[in-house]
Amino acid sequence: MTISNGDGDSAAKDGRRERKRKRRAEPSLVKWKTEGEQKTYSSKLIEALRRVRRSSATGAASAATDHSRSRAVREAADRALAAAARGRTRWSRAILCGRTLKRRVLPRAGRPKPVGPARAAERSKPPALKTKARVLGRLVPGCRKLPLPSLLEEVSDYIAALEMQVRAMSVIAEALSAVGGAPSPAQTEGPI
Amino acid sequence: MSSRRSRSRQSSSGRITDQQIDDLMSKLQSLLHEARLGSHDRASAAKVLQDTCSYIRSLHREVDDLSERLSELLDAAGVSSDQAACIRSLFM
Repeated sequence: MTISNGDGDSAAKDGRRERKRKRRAEPSLVKWKTEGEQKTYSSKLIEALRRVRRSSATGAASAATDHSRSRAVREAADRALAAAARGRTRWSRAILCGRTLKRRVLPRAGRPKPVGPARAAERSKPPALKTKARVLGRLVPGCRKLPLPSLLEEVSDYIAALEMQVRAMSVIAEALSAVGGAPSPAQTEGPI
Repeated sequence: MSSRRSRSRQSSSGRITDQQIDDLMSKLQSLLHEARLGSHDRASAAKVLQDTCSYIRSLHREVDDLSERLSELLDAAGVSSDQAACIRSLFM
């Protein structure tokens, strides 16, 4: 992991020497596909799952609905994922700030849109594209008001991270169901 | 990386044109969707955004399903099996 960080740093330094302008380091997408990253994430997630299990066991046993438990699992998984991003991306910082940015409905009265020559370039985008971009911004935590290029960067990192999350959680689920012994009634030994 | 160079062009010109955004968009999305969409030309930016939205939604759904499954399994698993699962998945 440190090796890849070093590479990114030296490449950024070269870029800075060539071009005198401030540029933030682009998060590389490759790390989300490495086995090491997934294993780190899996172990962090298992720790978090143990905490969830302990807290749900001591609390109201049957009153804790399946929904609240699965939501707790989902939030633990997302928080572990955001921590794995190491604060380099907006979506990860938004998740770690408590997810209020995603859940909260911002009061918008009529969306004041400054129309003028300064905004001419933006208005050249067809409205359908803007709507879709806004929908996309709502799907990714913390990215509602982002301009399109930054939004696309966040989206690609977010998608790569989600894919790793799915892979890691599937592995853990397989491991737990194998150890658990009795096959759960809902699932068959189907294709996973 | 070439994407860095294209971004430098944007910042130096001060204005982000449609073309540059489209370039960035197709580049990023084709990276992610190489497995899904095959190799045909994705000309429409709207389609790319649409597909990305659906893909993110389906990933969210998968994570939700997996969370539900994990919460059921957590309920059933004993203490020692947790550790066994931990060891097992670390070696996978």
